[in-house]
Amino acid sequence: MNDQSTISPTTLSIHLTINGRDHALDIEPRVTLLDALRDRLHLTGTKKGCDQGQCGACTVHVDGERVLACLTLAAQVAGRSVTTIEGLAGEDGTLNAVQAAFLEQDAFQCGYCTPGQIMSAVACIREGHAGSDEEIREYMAGNLCRCGAYPHIVAAVRHAAEGLRS
Amino acid sequence: MTVHEMKHAASDGARLEAVGGRLSRVDGPAKITGAAHYAVEQQLEGLAHAVMVESTVAAGTVLSIDTRAAETAPGVLLVLTPDTIIPLRTASDWFGTPPPNVPYCPLARVVTYSGQHVAAVVAETFEQAVAAAALVKVTYDETPAIVDLSDPKAGDGIPIEAMTKEWGDAQAAFAASPVRVCAAYNTPREFQAAMEPHGLIARWQGEALTIWEPSQWLDGMARTYAEWFAIPFENVRLVSPYIGGGFGSKALALAHSAVAAASAKMLGRPVKLMLTRPQNFTSYGGRAATRQTVAIGADRDGKIQSIVHRGVNETAVDGMWVEPLGSVTSIMYATPNFSSKQNVVRVNTVVPGAKRAPGENPSAFGIESAIDELAYELGIDPLEIRLRNYAEEDPHARKAWSTRQLREAFAAGAEAFGWAKRSPAPRSMRDGHHLIGWGVAAGTYPVRRAHGEAVVNILADGSVEVESSSIDMGQGTYTILAQTAAETLGVPVEQVSVKLGDSHFARAGVAGGSRLAGVMTGAVYKAASQALDELIGLAIADPRSPFHALQANTLVVRDGRIASPRGEGPELSIAELLSAVGREKIEAKGDTMPATTTAEERYKNYTTIAMSIPHTEGDYSRHSWCAHFVEVRVDEDFGTVRVSRVVSALDSGRLYNPKLAESQWKGGIIMGIGQALLEEGLVDRRHGRIVNGNLADYMIPTNADIPDIQTISVGIPDPHSSALGGKGVGELGIVGVAPAIANAVFHATGKRVRDLPITLEKLI
Repeated sequence: MNDQSTISPTTLSIHLTINGRDHALDIEPRVTLLDALRDRLHLTGTKKGCDQGQCGACTVHVDGERVLACLTLAAQVAGRSVTTIEGLAGEDGTLNAVQAAFLEQDAFQCGYCTPGQIMSAVACIREGHAGSDEEIREYMAGNLCRCGAYPHIVAAVRHAAEGLRS
Repeated sequence: MTVHEMKHAASDGARLEAVGGRLSRVDGPAKITGAAHYAVEQQLEGLAHAVMVESTVAAGTVLSIDTRAAETAPGVLLVLTPDTIIPLRTASDWFGTPPPNVPYCPLARVVTYSGQHVAAVVAETFEQAVAAAALVKVTYDETPAIVDLSDPKAGDGIPIEAMTKEWGDAQAAFAASPVRVCAAYNTPREFQAAMEPHGLIARWQGEALTIWEPSQWLDGMARTYAEWFAIPFENVRLVSPYIGGGFGSKALALAHSAVAAASAKMLGRPVKLMLTRPQNFTSYGGRAATRQTVAIGADRDGKIQSIVHRGVNETAVDGMWVEPLGSVTSIMYATPNFSSKQNVVRVNTVVPGAKRAPGENPSAFGIESAIDELAYELGIDPLEIRLRNYAEEDPHARKAWSTRQLREAFAAGAEAFGWAKRSPAPRSMRDGHHLIGWGVAAGTYPVRRAHGEAVVNILADGSVEVESSSIDMGQGTYTILAQTAAETLGVPVEQVSVKLGDSHFARAGVAGGSRLAGVMTGAVYKAASQALDELIGLAIADPRSPFHALQANTLVVRDGRIASPRGEGPELSIAELLSAVGREKIEAKGDTMPATTTAEERYKNYTTIAMSIPHTEGDYSRHSWCAHFVEVRVDEDFGTVRVSRVVSALDSGRLYNPKLAESQWKGGIIMGIGQALLEEGLVDRRHGRIVNGNLADYMIPTNADIPDIQTISVGIPDPHSSALGGKGVGELGIVGVAPAIANAVFHATGKRVRDLPITLEKLI
């Protein structure tokens, strides 16, 4: 993606596996996974809310576990499997159960924290931390939502978890 | 037009797709899959990246800016300082006041607050710009700063005469009252903290400027850009398809916006600039810190005889913000004597701005805390004292309420909450280590109104397009306008596509003051009605129409199909009819402005707030209303406060979509919980600097802070407030939450906290 003017002596050539697809990138070591996704690969579903690891809007999965893309260098995840919000639905567009529950429960307003919330929620259920509303609140507390959709997020995670269990 | 002319006037039980139905967000699928591209996510060829450099002193003069290291850093294209940025013209304010004929420089030579932009760096990549910005060295001649309202240098401030509201003889009546309470109530500097940071992409093509920027007001911001660069308004296109939260903060083009647009012009390349999260605490104003004293005099039955109110809010050294602190004080309760006055005090801060319910929010904290204090003073239940002083008309405007379902809100909320089971004495309810407190408070927000326009097109395939330069930042504009068009035209909602967030669409005023839904549903209703009239007119009158021979007076459209009301004769889809009569499209522009409106007035209507219609215009005073019932649990040893239960009953008139309205109400309540317990901008007294300007240290509520919240709609259609009967939704929910929590904390602990937020050191 980079033209000559942006290549420095320290530029790295790396391969990232994002949503099952391989991407070759020439980037500086200081480029975060978040900026690589948004600015280089044009996968803007992963959001930048704070760039300081405080808000959770940039949550993605690396090898199935939730991580903050703003605190992860792109070079750190070379060769590992990264899933973003764009990779959550099925190839045919079938929504993930958590996505469907977010829509049904109106678990968002502005939508900016939503991809991070959904990625966290998928992991939260997978981790076995969606057993009660109390537990969901605690394990979803790292994803801030200023619109205040929290009660509906809890309901969406509960519904999705129940659906997946049955 | 009144609500009664709508075909499906019922709010509850309405079909999903009709106005009043619980349709899920039509923009929802894009938002849950990552397909919704927000303004600053445009991918453009040759995009350069800008980063701002901000002042590290709160007051003084910039002596020099050493840019040499930054200029030679890898990838750097441009370093901007007050000396190198192109000159701009000063733009008018949001009232449209003609600006002074002086140049505007968005980079400061004279610093009036810490965090003010003094320079900027533009580079090929974001990382290069960040690195180079750290190399810019600024030296200052620092002068003493006034850090906040409590600074000894701050003084008493400037009286704002327009805020004075008086009737009767308030001072004498207070002095003569047998029961008196008087106390001071403070709210700190608070921030909107929308999850999407401010930022923009600016691109010039000749003399045409395109700006992709999250915006609550495309037309107003486009006007500012046009004036800065002395180009025609039509040359500016603002694009803002989705907005990651605004809460009042995204209605104006700001200094960093000017820097990005100027650098794009200087470079001849598109430039992207996103403020860092800390810069989002200093590049625009949050809610001003406020101080109020509220004195209430009453008789022994708890009937208010007088209210004396004095308020102060902070403003900037070089800018004016008035947070109207008497707005709720003057209308919530009936009183024969009243006096409210307000000053503003200049401190070294960025100009404070609008945050959810500016004015009403802190005003309610004062009066709704004070009346609770009066209730305890008299030994009267806090709910009962509110009913004894119920204002049957607007005590200030002396007009009838358009609708005021506040009594119903108190009743419904109390019933659902179980208020009757409350033990009145403080510290009388507990659960182990937890002191339990129950509190109540009311809230209100005026119905701000304006004229609007919208385009509704019926296309050859029978689908419908709605176009408007209004926006959706999560309030549900896309959805309720689709519902309005679908119901009015009689087509399935899936056939309606709503296009918003482009200033080249039909014009729209600000999405602020909870006005947009009322304005835009009215405009879309009008446009869709015109389109429907034209469609039916064609079907009846065009010789090629299969309905021509029927000689009908009218036809009906239902589920996208046209038929005679009695069912005789043919039935055609809209597409079939348009094909039969050879029409590609029906275009209608609905416009609620009077026909005599001039082009200049129209421009002013959409690009300023000067033509807003007063909420007390004509015979009525129009407001939405609410009552919050809150339970808190306070740890007796540690003083930690948890909100464990909230029941709120709200009157927003008719709800266009209850599912989305409930979400907005709850969002307001949750922001109110943050205000009550967590949120406070902390200023370093040595340097006048916000020290907690980030999302970990400026604490907003997390999921774990929030209990389940019950909202109850008690509204009825209000034909005086909007075309379809709704009143404001978005700001109402937050008003009254903080005092309800403070009142609950008093009930739990016997300690009255009058200084937000209610943190543990104030309770132990």
